[in-house]
Amino acid sequence: MIIEIGHYALVLALATALIVSTVPLIGARRRDATMMALAPVASLTMFVLVLIAFAALTWAYVVSDFSLRNVWENSHSLMPVVYKVSGVWGNHEGSMMLWLLILVFFSGLVAIFGRNLPETLRADVLAVQGWISTAFMLFILLTSNPFLRLNPAPAEGQDLNPVLQDPGLAIHPPLLYLGYVGFSVCFSFAVAALIEGRIDAAWARWVRPWTLAAWTFLTAGIAMGSYWAYYELGWGGWWFWDPVENASFMPWLAGTALLHSALVMEKREALKIWTVLLAIMTFSLSLLGTFLVRSGVLTSVHAFATDPTRGIFILAILMLFIGGAFALFAWRAPMLKSGGLFAPVSREGSLVLNNLILTVSTATILIGTLYPLVLETLTDEKISVGAPFFNMTFGLLMLPLLAAVPFGPMLAWKRGDLLGAMQRLYVAAGLALVVGLILYYVENGGPVMAVFGIALAFWGMFGALADIWYRANFGKLPFNVAWRRLVGLPRSAFGTALAHFGLGVAVLGIVMVTTYQTETVVEMKQGQTAEAGGYSLVFDGMREAVGPNFTEERGHFTVSRAGATVADVWSSKRIYTARRMPTTEAGILTFGFSQLYVSLGDPMADGGIVVRIWWKPFILCIWGGGLIMMLGGFVSLSDRRLRVGAPSRKARAAKVAMEPAE
Amino acid sequence: MFLWIILACLTAAVAAVMLVALARGQKPSAPNRAGEVAVYRDQLAELERDRDQRLIGAQEAEYAKAEIGRRLLAAAGNADTYAATRQRSGTSSVTAVAVTLLVPVVGLSVYLALGSPNLPDQPLAARLENPGNNMDILIAKAERHLAQNPDDGAGWDLLAPIYFKAMRLEDAEIAYRNAIRLLGTSPERLAGLGETLIAANDGIVTEDARLAFEGSLRLRPEDPRARFYLALALEQAGRKDEARQAFEALAKDSPADAPWMELVQQHIAATGGEATPPSVAAVPRGPTTEGVAAAGAMSGADRQEMIRGMVESLAARLEEDPNNLDGWLRLIRSYSVLGETEKATEALNTGLKSFPAESDEGRQLIALAREVGLPVDGVTQ
Repeated sequence: MIIEIGHYALVLALATALIVSTVPLIGARRRDATMMALAPVASLTMFVLVLIAFAALTWAYVVSDFSLRNVWENSHSLMPVVYKVSGVWGNHEGSMMLWLLILVFFSGLVAIFGRNLPETLRADVLAVQGWISTAFMLFILLTSNPFLRLNPAPAEGQDLNPVLQDPGLAIHPPLLYLGYVGFSVCFSFAVAALIEGRIDAAWARWVRPWTLAAWTFLTAGIAMGSYWAYYELGWGGWWFWDPVENASFMPWLAGTALLHSALVMEKREALKIWTVLLAIMTFSLSLLGTFLVRSGVLTSVHAFATDPTRGIFILAILMLFIGGAFALFAWRAPMLKSGGLFAPVSREGSLVLNNLILTVSTATILIGTLYPLVLETLTDEKISVGAPFFNMTFGLLMLPLLAAVPFGPMLAWKRGDLLGAMQRLYVAAGLALVVGLILYYVENGGPVMAVFGIALAFWGMFGALADIWYRANFGKLPFNVAWRRLVGLPRSAFGTALAHFGLGVAVLGIVMVTTYQTETVVEMKQGQTAEAGGYSLVFDGMREAVGPNFTEERGHFTVSRAGATVADVWSSKRIYTARRMPTTEAGILTFGFSQLYVSLGDPMADGGIVVRIWWKPFILCIWGGGLIMMLGGFVSLSDRRLRVGAPSRKARAAKVAMEPAE
Repeated sequence: MFLWIILACLTAAVAAVMLVALARGQKPSAPNRAGEVAVYRDQLAELERDRDQRLIGAQEAEYAKAEIGRRLLAAAGNADTYAATRQRSGTSSVTAVAVTLLVPVVGLSVYLALGSPNLPDQPLAARLENPGNNMDILIAKAERHLAQNPDDGAGWDLLAPIYFKAMRLEDAEIAYRNAIRLLGTSPERLAGLGETLIAANDGIVTEDARLAFEGSLRLRPEDPRARFYLALALEQAGRKDEARQAFEALAKDSPADAPWMELVQQHIAATGGEATPPSVAAVPRGPTTEGVAAAGAMSGADRQEMIRGMVESLAARLEEDPNNLDGWLRLIRSYSVLGETEKATEALNTGLKSFPAESDEGRQLIALAREVGLPVDGVTQ
């Protein structure tokens, strides 16, 4: 009965979504306060209903109710409870439910925090959110319904894909979806602005926090996904330019551009129209990513089951929203007033440069991802566009951007002084070069580009520190005064510095790993030793072990450096009994920021086993950088000023008190 | 019934929330311009801060201040971009009726089309408490019991033939082996293991299976099932004369109306002997045939059918994924056992496309083909 209540709640949510998408919109056109007032209430109702449905589905997973087809297909009664819960979104239907839950969650947030928005804007935004919700509810109910039943119910489920039986599944998709779907709010704001034909100042204030929140989650989601692929797939790689990865990276790049252009708009009301366009593009790329992954056009770990009707349905959603939004933009954008003026060399100008490079690189990745698909559809010719293409194009595009990053925060608004900024940055540049060279000599050899890349990474880091240093005016003012100035800096300044510092850290990790990692493939017998990254690994032999729903063979290695034992590590190959599917569980040892990665291959006839050992210097910097960027996002989000976007509660209360007689 | 009451309450609650929102409505209000004014004031304050931190030049700050000031004035003074909102009593009642109708109509029509209101929840724990006659649940329960007590031989003994009937051959093999390990050998267990192994190998009597039947025959020398499979092993090994003698001996020792006679006669014919026409009269099985009841449960034709089905599914699998040496070896052997030389040759040639004749794998394929007597001269060139 709980399941059927959940199913019915989802259907009721559809009815509510239909109301949200129409009534407030009509109300906004007719300036009818009553009809507009329905928007927040109905949005919150929608959220509660979807929450009920999602809870019912989760319950069915936890108690292993195999009368639900979705549970039978993707769960197993012997799985640990954590994986039963995360297994809810470890499949197509469930992951669409999570998408929807987060979408209506954001609608609910807009309804709650949007009390201070102009009524018409709020009604329009919620209605646009309602359209997206309606489309996805129809998609779920008609093509991917997780509430379909089986009668008679099977006795045991078919188990969750073993690769997904990992804590990563509990973290990566929710974070990623919070990012993807968070951009829907920016999209709804943009479309609402186009419908109204004007952009409020409140609009400008609102878009940035939402972009920031979505961007922060997306950053964390991508970093988490990359780390998960790194340790789970056993290939030792952390980014493969796989189309699915690109699908999440494109909204991130566009979102980064949006974040920066929203900054200009918020502060100076310039770049309004461009920001609207970027907001539409960013969410369109999120939708495109969903389409590419969910339609089965791409095959990968993420594709789950595929079904052509789903593909066509998603394509229709895609065309409706992306096509509709761009058509609306073409029609209405000329009516929007553009904002303030600025000189080419200025904070605004540097942000335009940032946007230019980010959008061009997004387009590069889009082409690299879609071109093989289009070519295969048209000519049946299969080509693969891989890492060399992306490294060449995207890598080259990133060089000037990385070089320019420290300048941005140093330049003044409206008209900047490039020379002055350079003078302030020469210390950072010098330090970066020195540290780059030191690392070059420490690692003893390597291509010149690596030194350049490492220097660029430190350039980003020191530039971020220099920004804070000069803002607080250390060096010129006495320490106490400068310290007070430092503490008094707005949090968004720290957010910026953290995010830029994180970018530098990530670049450092990428350059170091790409240049200095070593890979050793050896056949080892018990007692043999292999060398990697200055460590010696002694293979102590294999042992069999049994987990709740798998059996595994574990190899034990003792790691020593200069004769002293420093650590030991297990690396294993598992067989998941229900699906008879093997997985590798790499043994990973962390030394500072670097890691030793041990993965087992096939056993040989003579009793040895193939062992792959990677030495990955500074690899943790890649994800650490992502985490620092995420932290920057949160610090910036906590900035008091972001809440000033509309009159504070106190001001509003005072206003109401002034007009007591209604 | 209880479900419907809850669904009705849910519908009513949703409609009520909407209606209350509509009824309370929003008091008609002046256009909300205060938000914009606050934003511009805040921008001015921020400009001052930026100027203090020299993030903007003094002159530029003045210009920016003027820009913001103009917008501030426009926002504070110019109220007609937003017309005041009103309350229209007419529309609100129309909306109320639409909302009241839409929620139950959409809710019920979509749910009745998609939902299964008559199916109760079936959490696994509750089903294991009351398994009833559900075979799958009984198996699952036995599995759980054995996972807890892996040394319960009787449990494995019970489960093994059930697995075999459900064609869960790998599980059946494990169960038979566990039962033998814990309870010792018996003709039933050994023969069951042998049959499981044969079924898992697409009808081929493997070395393991042959050993199992020999063990079974030692314990019950007259067991026709074991004798049949041992004869079949001889036939598959290409020792036709010995096979024929074994089949003929089996035919002689069996009652004329035994259900396996037809199959035995087929094999006598296949190995070059003369088959006596099978008796047509179906006489009820006597108590002496008890030991072979299991083998007879499946008629010869069924058995042949089953083997053929397995071979075909193997062929289909290989068509999808030809990169499977073991598969090709098994397919070639199976076809030659079934006497389909043409198909066996075809399988050899297709297999050699994935594993060229010069490679180690290719040589294995050709060696097998020689062993089973396929013409291989053409392909080795």
